[in-house]
Amino acid sequence: MPDPVDTTPARTEAWVAPTWEQVVRDHSARVYRLAYRLSGNPQDAEDLTQETFVRVFRSLADFSPGTFEGWLHRITTNLFLDMVRRRQRIRFDALPEDTERLPGTAPSPEQVYSDTHLDPQVQAALDALSPEFRVAVVLCDIEGLTYEEIAATLGIKLGTVRSRIHRGRVQLREALAHLAPRRPGSAQDAVAEGSTG
Amino acid sequence: MNIPESHLAQEAIAALVDGELGGGPAARAARHLTGCAQCRMAVQAQREAKEALHASSDVAVPGDLLSRLCAIPFTADVPGAGGGLGALSAGPGQLTISGSTGSWSVPLEPGPGGSDRPGYARWLRRGFTGALGVLGIGVTALALNLPAGSSDGARPSSESVARGSFEERTEIVPPVVRATTVGTGGVAPTVHPGGTP
Repeated sequence: MPDPVDTTPARTEAWVAPTWEQVVRDHSARVYRLAYRLSGNPQDAEDLTQETFVRVFRSLADFSPGTFEGWLHRITTNLFLDMVRRRQRIRFDALPEDTERLPGTAPSPEQVYSDTHLDPQVQAALDALSPEFRVAVVLCDIEGLTYEEIAATLGIKLGTVRSRIHRGRVQLREALAHLAPRRPGSAQDAVAEGSTG
Repeated sequence: MNIPESHLAQEAIAALVDGELGGGPAARAARHLTGCAQCRMAVQAQREAKEALHASSDVAVPGDLLSRLCAIPFTADVPGAGGGLGALSAGPGQLTISGSTGSWSVPLEPGPGGSDRPGYARWLRRGFTGALGVLGIGVTALALNLPAGSSDGARPSSESVARGSFEERTEIVPPVVRATTVGTGGVAPTVHPGGTP
């Protein structure tokens, strides 16, 4: 067969695309963890993760290799902040119809803990932060992003990143002190209490 | 004593804890901390909050979420990518991101009955498919659960896809749950009864 199209760009063959399963396997834990820390409950974490990967799937064509993690962080955090804003609006209306969605599938706290190994006190303290602070602190202290990466992810200035992280941590520590009055800020204590109680 | 009068800025305290302070400022901050218990406490508080988050361990993705994520290529509704820039196609086993030559997508499974006349003209263009195979971007799409009514909506776009140019793009019928299979190297579709002469 003659080759009518030897103008084929070489790059399309040089880069071997991963399979979708590979993409899911490599990145779902990170996305789910981030979604869980941000939303504070497994249902929203699953929804956010699912939606994040749908977005990824839809727009993989626009993806440039090398920024995949940053891209995932950006999608997940934006979806989370969208969700928060949407709910803040809804709060003014009557209760929406989906407040009791999937009642049978909500896991028990014990199940959540064994699935996720999330320290319930730390998660509760995180939940007490305002969403903007929470995102900054989670990206920094759990995801290990640099300030610069956080600024890029959230589209805010470096100074804003610094002050959000600082204030977020101050609030987090206060919340932890409320939750575990004996030794504020000690995650180990919180875990011990949670498992013996 | 040449300790600076002013305390550390809050943002500097966070940045110091995260190692985000430049060499000069970090040295100045360290000098200040040796003589200032108040700022030392503030630094310690930031550190405690950071460690509380850091101590919380990894999160396991629920199994059913994982399988839902893997199924996204079958379930997600993928809008056509912007003209000319190429599109994404993916399957559970393989995923291809097309280059500037574009990717190709056709519904493999015609609607139940009655879509044989104009739709099948494209199967005569096997040679065309072969040419795409030379490009290394042969993409086929399999539409599942295609309602009889909506197959009519799908057909004109498929027609335009088959015509002339290599600038094909993925066309999706909105309400249809669909699956996509992808092959690099001109995978010939196999699910069409009586297509070729």
